[in-house]
This record gives sequence, structure tokens and C-alpha cells, in this order.
Amino acid sequence: MTVATPPSTKLPPSNHPLADIIYRLEAGGAMLPDTPENLMQIIGLYKAYAVPMDFYWRDLLYIGEQVFLNPLPFFKYFISEEYLQLPNHYAGDTADLRIWRGGADCHPELREFIEKGELKQKLPRLFHHLWHDRINMEFAEECMRSMLWHRDMYVPWNQFDPYLDSEEYKQNADRAIKAYFKGNPVMLGLYKLFPDMFLEQCRQASYYANLGLFWEVMAPVFFEMSDLYDEGKLTSVPEAMNFLVNGIFAIAGRPIYHHVYIRGECYEIIPKSKGFTWLYEAALPYVEAVFYRTSPFRGTKSYNAQAKQVPDDQQDFHYGVLYADKFPVGTAGIPPTFLAQDMLHFLPPYLVEYYQQHCRGEDDMLVQLAVSFQRSMYCVTSAVIQALRTALLYPLDDPNPEHLKANRAFFEAQMDRFLRPEARIRDIQTQDYR
Amino acid sequence: MQLPLLSMLVWLPVLGAAVMGFYPGQLSAARARWGAIGVAGVLFSLTALLFTQFDLTQAGFQMQELMPWLPALGLNYSLSIDGLSLPLVGLANLLTLMVACNGEVGLKPNETLQRPRLFYTMLLLVNAGVVGALLSQNLLLFFLFYELELIPFYLLIVIWGGAKREYAATKFLIYTALSGILILAGFLAIAWLTHSSSFEYGAINTTELPTTIQLVLLVVLLLGFGIKIPLVPLHSWLPDAYVESSAPVAMLLGGILSKLGTYGLVRFAVGLFPETWASVAPVMSAIAAASILYGGFAAIAQKDIKRMVAYSSIGHMGYVMLGTAALTPLSMVGAVSQMVAHGLILALLFYLVGIIESKVGTRDLDVLNGLLNPIRGLPLTAALLILAAMASAGIPGMVGFISEFLVFQGSFSVFPIPTLLAIAGTGLTAVYFVILLNRTCFGRLDSKSAYYPSVSKREYFPALILMATIVFLGVQPSWLVRWSEPTTQAIVASAFPNQSIAAVLPTHVNLRDRAPHLEATHL
Repeated sequence: MTVATPPSTKLPPSNHPLADIIYRLEAGGAMLPDTPENLMQIIGLYKAYAVPMDFYWRDLLYIGEQVFLNPLPFFKYFISEEYLQLPNHYAGDTADLRIWRGGADCHPELREFIEKGELKQKLPRLFHHLWHDRINMEFAEECMRSMLWHRDMYVPWNQFDPYLDSEEYKQNADRAIKAYFKGNPVMLGLYKLFPDMFLEQCRQASYYANLGLFWEVMAPVFFEMSDLYDEGKLTSVPEAMNFLVNGIFAIAGRPIYHHVYIRGECYEIIPKSKGFTWLYEAALPYVEAVFYRTSPFRGTKSYNAQAKQVPDDQQDFHYGVLYADKFPVGTAGIPPTFLAQDMLHFLPPYLVEYYQQHCRGEDDMLVQLAVSFQRSMYCVTSAVIQALRTALLYPLDDPNPEHLKANRAFFEAQMDRFLRPEARIRDIQTQDYR
Repeated sequence: MQLPLLSMLVWLPVLGAAVMGFYPGQLSAARARWGAIGVAGVLFSLTALLFTQFDLTQAGFQMQELMPWLPALGLNYSLSIDGLSLPLVGLANLLTLMVACNGEVGLKPNETLQRPRLFYTMLLLVNAGVVGALLSQNLLLFFLFYELELIPFYLLIVIWGGAKREYAATKFLIYTALSGILILAGFLAIAWLTHSSSFEYGAINTTELPTTIQLVLLVVLLLGFGIKIPLVPLHSWLPDAYVESSAPVAMLLGGILSKLGTYGLVRFAVGLFPETWASVAPVMSAIAAASILYGGFAAIAQKDIKRMVAYSSIGHMGYVMLGTAALTPLSMVGAVSQMVAHGLILALLFYLVGIIESKVGTRDLDVLNGLLNPIRGLPLTAALLILAAMASAGIPGMVGFISEFLVFQGSFSVFPIPTLLAIAGTGLTAVYFVILLNRTCFGRLDSKSAYYPSVSKREYFPALILMATIVFLGVQPSWLVRWSEPTTQAIVASAFPNQSIAAVLPTHVNLRDRAPHLEATHL
């Protein structure tokens, strides 16, 4: 394990069990050591993650905006050509803020996969779907649902969630629901009888939009990082992390909204004018819900109430990617398998070669890449922690020892979340864990 | 008869062993293995031919090959086959082929088989000895082959075994030698007391002897074969020998060698003293029940999976004993089936345990975990282990159920209490195998240590063949029992010469369709 020395003589050594990682964060580093091997893995996984993510965000928006409350959404994963070409706001020539230098419509590798799939054959999309030769959109929905279910995160900064319960939201939703089911007396009658049933579905659709808008940003960020790495412009883990931090701040203010399109007309269920922003209403709740909490894997925990394996309090949930046991990926009851299998299709060649040299090579690539993915998400979480520190506290080179103390207290509080034995933070410190 | 098939089965492996042993120049491990596979493959095809040539309507010996050898001693080279030895010959040749396919099983990942040439030579000699003993029609010739087994097995244990191999091999040697002495003493006494001119099996008639002497001789034989089987008070060599042997040797020990004990018991103890057998049978049934329960309870207490499998073997040989003790047509068919079933299942279990040991590096129940993990574990090995354990515990659909059920069905009318205890014993089998499977296959892998190498296709091959055989015979059991039915019924009939065979049958078993000739003799 690489042990960082305390960054400044202004502070006494920390007594925290994860002190060596705290020193690294104080020195501007990430939670995982800065090695070329780590960098290669995290960047390669950003690339492999970004391509399915490019599909996820498009389909999430498609479902939130077009499928909306369809009671029988059989074809919700058959995203329309319009949404495949939907220009990303942060890529291409028309970008609001150009993060990725590539095109604004869907990534060429994604386009090829949609057409040919794993079979490498051009077949109607329905056949690819039925043969399960497709992007596992269920994973994206699971992330969305965990954001929906872990409510009250980042109160009071996160205003999106309380807004879903407001009278204003209910009225907006009511208009959209009535418009959506216009001419359908059965559904309208049901809506009259059970208005809350539809309202809750509408909230879910709002979170579809929320997560779609979140990932619309992350996909070009990851694409750009991969390109920079290929060009030799990203050379260390802290550089990668700082790119993320800068990206977070550059994009922090992008609006989060929910527009529904019904027969060509736009219904603003959550209008842009509410002023919901990407950082507080999407990014931070997402990190909390997906990286830290999610829900217990059916294949690892018992939901038996008497066994008390699952905490009573949602705050204590610790089943996110930072805690997940990646070894059972590929087994029944382990949701990240979906994502791992998606990423498997888009690994850059250098990672495939790297995995072939380790463990079982080709045979257990799914687990190896899931572990690398965990490393890369530790890097993202480090960026979030550093960004929060930048936003709420002091610079790392602040001359005032009191300010450095406040920084340290913040880092220690963040590291406290990794003290439970499930946290993989100690494992990722070495390459023995793969 | 065109081909001296039986002699070929005995001497071809000896020839193969001689060629391999004295081959000038170096033989790499792979070439030695291919040589062994070649010989074992030819033997297996010859066995298949033997099965097609075998006359199913005949209860007695067939394909006799007789040559005077040392007439002064009464020792003739006399081979023959009947429904009792045929399935066991098939089993032995199948297992030899499977072991030849992968003699390296159980070795650590970067370890190679030491002295491969000697290993495969010994393997072929073992096969020759077992098949020779099964086919011998002469008591002395049987004894020769029986003793011949000692040397290669001793070497197999002591050279390729585990940490305490010297102790285990010596124990095995002493016990087996003692078993040989008892059997030889029994044979000599039988021949002399009956004033038989030769040691030919067919020439010996013990019915003239006083009952007490018959009983003494029978007990001597029982002790001799009881060590080999092993029966419960005589079993203590087995756990050490099985556990300290390498996986392929354990397959041979449990799959083939232990069958010589039960075969000898049926052939000589029952065959030569059919009437006296009835007087010891209640004791034997009690011993059988004790073996089954002892094996089960001892296995439950173990922490080492190989040791568990070894104790399971003691329990399962108890079923053979029970079926033999009951001596009804059905239970005898069950006993022979159980010999075959146990040979297949035990060999598969030891093989899989060997794979697990070589890949994971431990046999400790407290360390093993999560092997069913499809990507990082040993999923197919674990799945086969589950099936093999289910077969062993007598789950329908596999061969273990068929044989155990035949034994129970056949013995219940004669020895109801021991049969019930034996049925409780199958429950114990399920208990310890579920413990084994739960700790080994289920659970989760440790992310610190679980970087196991994968299992290659070649390593799977023997396990898949054995599993396929187990399932096939489980759903199509007539291929298991048809070979031995006439012979075992004849054995039963000879034990009850003054009685209608129907009297010893459970009333609901109708043998009319199966063995019309038996019915005819008593109607």
C-alpha cells in the first residue's frame, strides 16, 4: 500500500483508521493510489461505461418524455430514431458547452451495437431484444428507482424531491395525465378513482428525466477523458479526478426539468424556470443513491425482517458500487451484472489485453472489469468529495491552519462512511484485488 | 468362441505395463498418459464386446478358459465370467480409462505428475489384477491376483500420496496382507477339508462338512473379505488410505479395489457356504446396519471433504452387505447394482474432490465456499458435485437410488429392523452431503483468496462421462440389473435348495417374467 505522508506540517497526524487516504486527499489526490495501472483501468472503464450510458440517458429521456404513463410500455427500450439523434448538449458543434469534441448524436459504437449486437448480424431490433442481445436498460431503471426511493437526500440543497410533493407539481402532472389519456375513458376513470396511483407514476417519470439529464452530462465527460488519455494528455489519477472536478463545476448549473411530449405538445411538468440545477438536484442525490446506498442485492442479503440484515433506516443503506462485492457478478441476484455485461461490449482493446493477462483471462473478464469499474467509481467519488470540499470549505493550499483543520474534519467525516467492513476502499489500494 | 476375450482382458494391461515400464528411452508425462489411454481404451472396447457376447439367459459361468498350470498344487489357469463379475469388470475397465484420461487430477496448479511412467504402469497393473481376480475360477488363482493388487496399490499410495502417505500406505499394506492371509487360510482349509483334488471353484463342495467347521471357515473368509470391503470394526485403514491417496488412486481404491471384497464375499462366502450363510446372515445384517450408521455419523463429524467421502464409502458398502445378508433374489440384484453404483459414484466424488483440491488448494470445509459462482468459482465442478452427492444419497433419477431401493425392497421382508436402520442411514447420507455441498458450493467467494484457475475441458471429461453413466443407469436401470439377474437368482436358489424360491421372495415381487427358468424348476 502506498502511504502518503502528511501533506503539511501545519496539521498533526490524523488518528483516523484511513489516515493514509485522508493525507492523499489533502495532497490533492484521489481515494485510489496514483499508478499507471489504476489510471488505465479507470479511464478504460469510463470509456466502456460511457457508450451504454449514451444509450441510457437517451432512453431514460425517451421514457420520461414520450412513453410517460403508458400502462403497457412493451417497447420502451425501442428508442426512436429521433432520440438516437438527439443532440447531446455537451458534445458536437451545437453544444451549450462543448465537453466532448465528438459528435452530438449517439456514439458510433452504440449505433453499431444497436444494429448488429453481439451476434454481429443485422437483424430487426425485436429479434436482438428477444435474444437478449441488447443494452441492459433495466440497470438504468434500477438506478432511477433507487433515486426515487431514497428520497430526502441532500436536504435542504436538493429541492427537486420536495417539489414532487408540492401542489404546483400535482397540478402540472394532472394536466399532463389528462392530456395523455385523452379519449381513453378507462384510464381516465381509473385516474379519477385512484389519482395517487398515476401521480406516483408521474413522479417516477420525472426521475427518469432527472437521471437522463444527469447522464447526458457524464457520457461526454467520460468520452472526453478517454480521448484525452489516448492522446496522452491525462497522465495521472489526480489529473483524471481534477478533470471531473472541473467538469462538475462547469456543468453544475445546467437545468433539471421534466417535459412531456403528448401529441406534439410539450407539457412542462417540472419547468426549467424552477431553477433546479444539475449539481444539487441530480448529481449529489445520484451519488448518494447509487454509489453509496441503492438497495440490498437479492443475492447477498436476506430481506427477512426478523433477520435484521437490511437496516431499518435508509441512511444506513450501504449497497452501492463503493461497497458492492464484485466477485459474484454473473450470479443470480446480483444487479451490477447488467451493467458489467453492457460494459463488456465496449471495452477498449488495451483493457481486453490487460484482462487476458490476469486471473482467468477472457473467462472472468466480467468480474475483472467490474472490479476496475469499482476503482473508477472510487475516482468519481473522490472527485465529488473534492468538489464538495471546494464548494463548501477551503482550498488545499490554504495558509490558515484552522481552515485546513476544517478540511480535514470534512475528509474524516467522508471517510467515516467507509469504515464499515463492506467498503472496498482498502481493497482497491492494491492491485491484488482484481 | 473365437477370441480368448477374458485372457486378453487380463494380459493386455500386463503387456501394456511391461512395454511402458521397459520402454527404452524417456517417456514424457503426456506420452505415458496417451499410452495408458490407448491400452485402457482397447480394454474398454474389449469389455464392450464382452457385454455383447455375454449370454443373458445363462445363470452360470460362460466363456470358460482353462489351462492346467501347476496340477500338483491344484492351481489351474482358469478364467470364466458370470453375471456377478461381468458388471464389475465393466466398472473396473471404465474407471481405469477415466483415471488414465487424467492421472494428474488433484495436483496443485503448477505441479506436474511425478514419475508418470511408473504411475501409468501401476494403473495398468491394478486393472490387470482386479480383472484377473474377478475372472478367476480357481481359488488359488483368485488369491494370486488378490495379492498382486497389494504391491501397485502400496506404491501408488506411498509415492503419490499426501503428507501422511507412509503411515497410510503401511497401514493399508498390513491390513490387506492380513486379509490375504485369512483368505488363503480359508481357501486352503476348504480344499483340504473337502479333500478336493484342485482349487477349481466348481469342483469344491462344502455341503459334506460339519456345520461347525463350515461356520469357522465362513467366519475366516468373512474376516478376510470384511477387511477389504471394509466392514465396520475392520475399517480403520480406509479413511487414512483414501485420504492420503492422490485423487486418481482414491478413485481406484474406492471404485475398484473395495469391490474385490464384496465380490469375494458373494462369490466365496455365499457361494461356497450357501446354507451356513443363513446362520450368520442376521449378524451380518446387523454389521451392515452398523456400518451404514457409523459411516454416516463419522462423515457428519468430518471437516475434510475427502474424509467425508471416504466415510461415505464405508456406509455405502454397508448396503452391499445388507443385500447380501438378506439373500433374496431382489436384494442380491440390489447388492450387485450397489457395487457398480458405488464404484461410479465414489470415483466421481473423489475425482471432483481432486479437482477442487487442485484448483482451490484446500479440502477444508471451513475454508471452501461459493464454488458455484459461475465466473470466479468452479461452477461445473460444483454442479457435478451436487449431482454426485445426490446420487450418493439415493435421489431418484440416478443410479444410487435404484440400487439402494432394490436392496431395501429385497431385504425388508428378511431383516426389517436392519433395513429400517439402513434407510435411516440414507437420511444421514443426505445430511452430511448437504453439509458438504452447503459449505463447498454455496456461500460466497472470499475476494482476498478466490483467484482460482479454471478447469480445462480435458479435466471435465472423465467427470462428465461418469455423470452421464450415473444418470443413464438411473433412468434406464435395466441396463444395470439385467446382467446379474440370472446369476444372482441362481445363487439365491442354491442357498435354499429344499424350498420353493417363491417362499423367500417378498410376496409382491413377481419373478415369473424375469426368470421363467426359476419358476419352472419349482412348479
